[in-house]
Amino acid sequence: MSTQIIKSNGFTNESLEWKAWLDVIEIDHATPKQIKVLEDSHPKAKTSDYYLFLVHQPEILEQRSAAFNAIMYAPGGLSRAERELASTVVSRINGCVYCASVHAQRFEQLAKRNDIIQQVFDNPYTAGTSDRERAIIQFSIELTKSPDTISASHIEELKKYGLSDGEILDLIHSIAIFAWANRLMLNLGEPVFP
Amino acid sequence: MTDINRDTIDRLVGIDHSSNLYITRHQRDKVAHATQGSEIGLFDPNLPGLSLQERLLAALLACHVTPNEILKQEYLDRLATIGTPRALIKTIIDGHFEILESKRLEAVMRFTHTLITDPIRADRTALLKLKEAGLSTPEIVTLAQLIAFISYQIRLAAGLSAMKSLER
Repeated sequence: MSTQIIKSNGFTNESLEWKAWLDVIEIDHATPKQIKVLEDSHPKAKTSDYYLFLVHQPEILEQRSAAFNAIMYAPGGLSRAERELASTVVSRINGCVYCASVHAQRFEQLAKRNDIIQQVFDNPYTAGTSDRERAIIQFSIELTKSPDTISASHIEELKKYGLSDGEILDLIHSIAIFAWANRLMLNLGEPVFP
Repeated sequence: MTDINRDTIDRLVGIDHSSNLYITRHQRDKVAHATQGSEIGLFDPNLPGLSLQERLLAALLACHVTPNEILKQEYLDRLATIGTPRALIKTIIDGHFEILESKRLEAVMRFTHTLITDPIRADRTALLKLKEAGLSTPEIVTLAQLIAFISYQIRLAAGLSAMKSLER
């Protein structure tokens, strides 16, 4: 797909690679359990440093991948594009350039637009092309930065812009899973730029 | 005693089986199941490598500095159950990592603190300090997954607590 390249504040929507800082599992030496967990985690996991590193602990990766895939790909509820938007915002706030690039691209593929990605990379605090989008983005920032301050009024604000209980749950999941994902990507390796 | 058969998030947030929030949450049962499964795996007493006490102390510190009082109390309770000395817990909550007898535990606590409060500073140098302190690669994977999972668990609990307070 022909994508307009966005670069802002060190973030980009280009395709990046990622390399681990410590030793990864060599696929030829992987146990049958490790192979199975890799295959269930991601179509390209067997050639990805990220999965080949995490599979040092296959049972933990297995559960993490089950949670991640159920949150990001389950049908119904919050649209997949809005889940990807929340993930991109969280990654922008946490400073995870690699995750931001992957999920910006997924958003663009699903939503067929990238105006909001430019805004999120420029300044997430003012980003949003509609009231609903701004509400999703603000909530993503606040739950990421200050989970101890989240209260009923934050949920009311989301409802005001049309989010149902099920959509709000999906949004919370999409934000929370990137508190997890960003910390792995940031502390175990680094992005490789084209 | 806590009911170990009950989902931790439902129990700590106080989500009753009869509530609308329970129905909403369990429409995404795969997520609830994998969340609980992750917790069970990360705190499996038989997991080789990092001791259960080291893992629970890292979880405690993560909840203390974020902060999240409900989860902090949960990990305090679990530390008490395995007989962790109160003085050790106090040293960690007070952030006096330099006086810890175990240099390995000191390295684990410093890494946890950085990854929770300022994830972008948890860089290559921070990671290599764990290697220098004697942690194996699988132990480092466990620690990274544990801290990252607690970051997730805290935000999930915070979001669901807010949804619950609106239901009342």
